[in-house]
Amino acid sequence: MTAFLFILFAGMAIGCAVAMVVQRNPLYSAIALIGVFLALACLYVMLAAPFIAAVQVIVYAGAIMVLVVFVIMLLNVEAEERQPLRLRALIPIAVTLAAIFFAETAFIIYFVQASPVSLRNVSDVGLTSSIGGGLFTTYLLPFEITSILLLMAIVGAMTLARTGGLLSPRAAVVPGDQVFSREMLNRRNVADLTPVITHSTDEAKELLGVRDEGEAE
Amino acid sequence: MVPQLSWYLALSAVLFTIGVVGVMIKRNVIAMFMCIELMLNSVNLTFIAFSSYFRDVSGQLFVFIVMTVAAAEAAVGLGIIIAIFRNRESLDVDDASTLKL
Repeated sequence: MTAFLFILFAGMAIGCAVAMVVQRNPLYSAIALIGVFLALACLYVMLAAPFIAAVQVIVYAGAIMVLVVFVIMLLNVEAEERQPLRLRALIPIAVTLAAIFFAETAFIIYFVQASPVSLRNVSDVGLTSSIGGGLFTTYLLPFEITSILLLMAIVGAMTLARTGGLLSPRAAVVPGDQVFSREMLNRRNVADLTPVITHSTDEAKELLGVRDEGEAE
Repeated sequence: MVPQLSWYLALSAVLFTIGVVGVMIKRNVIAMFMCIELMLNSVNLTFIAFSSYFRDVSGQLFVFIVMTVAAAEAAVGLGIIIAIFRNRESLDVDDASTLKL
């Protein structure tokens, strides 16, 4: 029974992966990749890792792929055009190598004797409590580093998404003490970096020459 | 017949190879990125298969970390892709093969 389920989910994963690579429209590739993630989540459940299966669906299929689909739609990516097939001499070499690869895979499947541990005894390795226990005791350092990594990713993504430089003409100046280098105020000055301190938004606006959209020129 | 560990490893190898082929074939930057995600997932499957067959939770913890790293990488990578698109108006990798704008 489990062998049938494995073949079902493995076939779905391989089928969707091949579909993702073959498709020329990146949106169809994204949908095929979601299919791969769902098939892998089912395989994780078969491997008695329910927490990771749920995290896979939530994080990969639910967050990362949604982000990818957003970007595809935002940038209005079009399908690739059919390329003429070049380097035709490489095709028999590729077929030979693929055949060798599948022969190796079959060898691994049928002849390598792993340690005879079967999954008939349900283990509690994959339960949320076991993962939580490990995450907060032995593996606390990677956990904390991961949180810093996420912070770096947020800052990096926001920096990359910024449009324009420091003095966008519609800049909204934050009230409070503003410190500018004089160079910023008058670009004809050559490298004068004396700071100019302003104490209110209006003063800063006047010095920078920033006009609100509603004001007349 | 119970699925053996080797079956899962073979499946992971096949998925990884498909991902590598995709990265080499694709000309669209976003499609290449998705093939990289496929490679990451195949390695996740290897980790969880070993964790399950040797009753060690470390494999699943590492998969947890890998998923977090993949999410962070997706955010920053797509930000880079958007920035490239803003400057070049094209998502073709062949156009971006030199560092010249």
